[in-house]
Amino acid sequence: MGEMISHLTLGFGVALTLQNIALCFVGCLVGTLIGVLPGVGPIATIAMLLPITFGLDPVGALIMLAGIYYGAQYGGSTTAILVNIPGEATSVVTTLDGHQMAKQGRAGVALGTAALGSFFAGCVATLVIAALGAPLTKLALLFGPAEYFSLMVMGLCFAVVLARGSILKAFCMIMLGLLLSTVGTDLETGQERMTFGFPPLSDGIDFAVLAMGVFGFAEVLRNLESPETRDVVRTKIGRLLPNWEDIKQSINPVLRGTTIGAILGILPGNGAVLGPFASYTVEKKLAKDPSRFGRGAIEGVAGPESANNAGAQTAFIPLLTLGIPPNAVMALMVGAMTIHGIIPGPQVMTKNPELFWGMIASMWIGNLMLLVINLPLVGVWVKLLQVPYRLMFPAILIFCCIGIYSVNNQPVDVAFTALFGLFGYLLIKLGFEPAPMLLGFVLGKLMEEKLRQALIISRGSFYTFIDYQNRPISLGLLIVSIIVLVIALLPAMSKKRDEVFTE
Amino acid sequence: MSLNKIERAQGLRIRSQQDLAAGLFIIALGLLAIFLSWNLPMGSLRQIGAGMLPKSIASICIGLGLLLALSSLRYNGDELSGWSWRGVIFVLGGAVLFGLTIRGFEIGSLKVPQLGLLISGPLVVLISGLAAEDKKWKELIIFAVVMTLFCALLFKYALSLPIPLAPWLLGI
Repeated sequence: MGEMISHLTLGFGVALTLQNIALCFVGCLVGTLIGVLPGVGPIATIAMLLPITFGLDPVGALIMLAGIYYGAQYGGSTTAILVNIPGEATSVVTTLDGHQMAKQGRAGVALGTAALGSFFAGCVATLVIAALGAPLTKLALLFGPAEYFSLMVMGLCFAVVLARGSILKAFCMIMLGLLLSTVGTDLETGQERMTFGFPPLSDGIDFAVLAMGVFGFAEVLRNLESPETRDVVRTKIGRLLPNWEDIKQSINPVLRGTTIGAILGILPGNGAVLGPFASYTVEKKLAKDPSRFGRGAIEGVAGPESANNAGAQTAFIPLLTLGIPPNAVMALMVGAMTIHGIIPGPQVMTKNPELFWGMIASMWIGNLMLLVINLPLVGVWVKLLQVPYRLMFPAILIFCCIGIYSVNNQPVDVAFTALFGLFGYLLIKLGFEPAPMLLGFVLGKLMEEKLRQALIISRGSFYTFIDYQNRPISLGLLIVSIIVLVIALLPAMSKKRDEVFTE
Repeated sequence: MSLNKIERAQGLRIRSQQDLAAGLFIIALGLLAIFLSWNLPMGSLRQIGAGMLPKSIASICIGLGLLLALSSLRYNGDELSGWSWRGVIFVLGGAVLFGLTIRGFEIGSLKVPQLGLLISGPLVVLISGLAAEDKKWKELIIFAVVMTLFCALLFKYALSLPIPLAPWLLGI
């Protein structure tokens, strides 16, 4: 406990400098600004805004990126409530009751409840991260290559199961991501792999190029196809702060949502996506009158929104302690950290304690900022929601182009991104969901390295991964992966899964 | 959706164009990867060579692609939807043009000077803007100029990224 307080003090010392507060503020503001645009989810937002952090020092850059992430998350909820367009999977649930509330003229209360619930969830999640950070990092230091490999296998299995749509297709995407990660010079032997003899490819495919191509450009192409119908709420926003009656109704959902979200968020492999769904289901089950749900029940906003924010934040735990990103957004964070020369993993906490604890402290500040920025600026967001897409996507494009160019000052990267945009569009057309590919891509290099190390240590024997005497953790992780896959493939479960994702 | 559909139809025929195409696409990518990494040594399990992982992952891809293609014969699924060339050409074309003009390029006798952001910026906005069906010329041109100036101020001055503005005119 004392240790945790001293760590948090260190963190707040870093995060509360004028520069870092400003960065956190700007991050939250721009994040919300972009995230609120319909059809632009957190992944696209972060990918697009990555370049504005290039000039900063690593601590500042990560604080700002984290701010952008929360901003984008919250912006997505605003869009879900006001326009009925979920920016991403986790705000789907918010559209159900949030938009109904907005239609009944209670948009302000819905937004206010979401913001307050998220703030509470964010505070709790920050404490959870601070409490779990140190012990998990110590645990991570016990991990050998075999455990790491098995852990990543488990993460990918979770990602497959929790992806939207067909499990088989999600599997294909993960494998494709792994395959793409092997392009470039082999680090061990120095041989060029699958580069077509083309020099820019010998360093491998740039992470930013892939992310912006698949999530920036391809997303624009997808959105351009469907003529947009925006159901922007025309009624008054109304008062923002929930009254006593609203608070009484939402306090328990917020508490439950926070718990559910925080626990699910820690799971490797995008557990955070389940939080809002789980919370909504729980609230509906517990409600005295379940028929109110879907017609503007405030519990249906308070619970899932808290779960969403708690999960969004605890998803940092696997990244910060083990160096393993649990979902595509965190994969982007890995990309950002690498650009700034930080290799995520347990050594971050020991080598750069200011960065580690500063970022955690900034999470709390970021949540406070969201509350301060979002509620007074609701009018601005509503205005932004009316920007037509015909102006939005050229702006997205010029941002992406400048961004990609700035990563390496290489014009050829822009052309590559366009190529990946085409590739991503093709994948979308073929019914693939590209997020697991990004995760596979980021984990691929690390997995190969750990696999090699593990096999060198075991002298070429795969038994090392399931050696229950010497490596019980590795065996345990692999068993969990198999169980998860088997359960998901059982007909009864897969039917349930379909329901969850189509609701 | 294919694996999750409980009801399965009798007899084999193409029930989901999308899944069939997706399966074939993954198979094609797998084959391409195997072809490209053909000469890389596999090594042994003790000392994994450069070719081991690409080849094994590609083989898994081919296997998954086959499964997907076969399942499209058994389970109903989505049809392929139309492909919008308009978006592809203007949006991606605009981006490529940005890449070509921002620092200039030379291919054989074809030379494009280094035009910089003040030219490349409006180009990408204008050309990609053509992809929208409800485009308005006047609005788009004004927007292109405003966006470019905004980006120049933001990236060049506020964030001091080394991006050329207009070397042929301003020397920066």
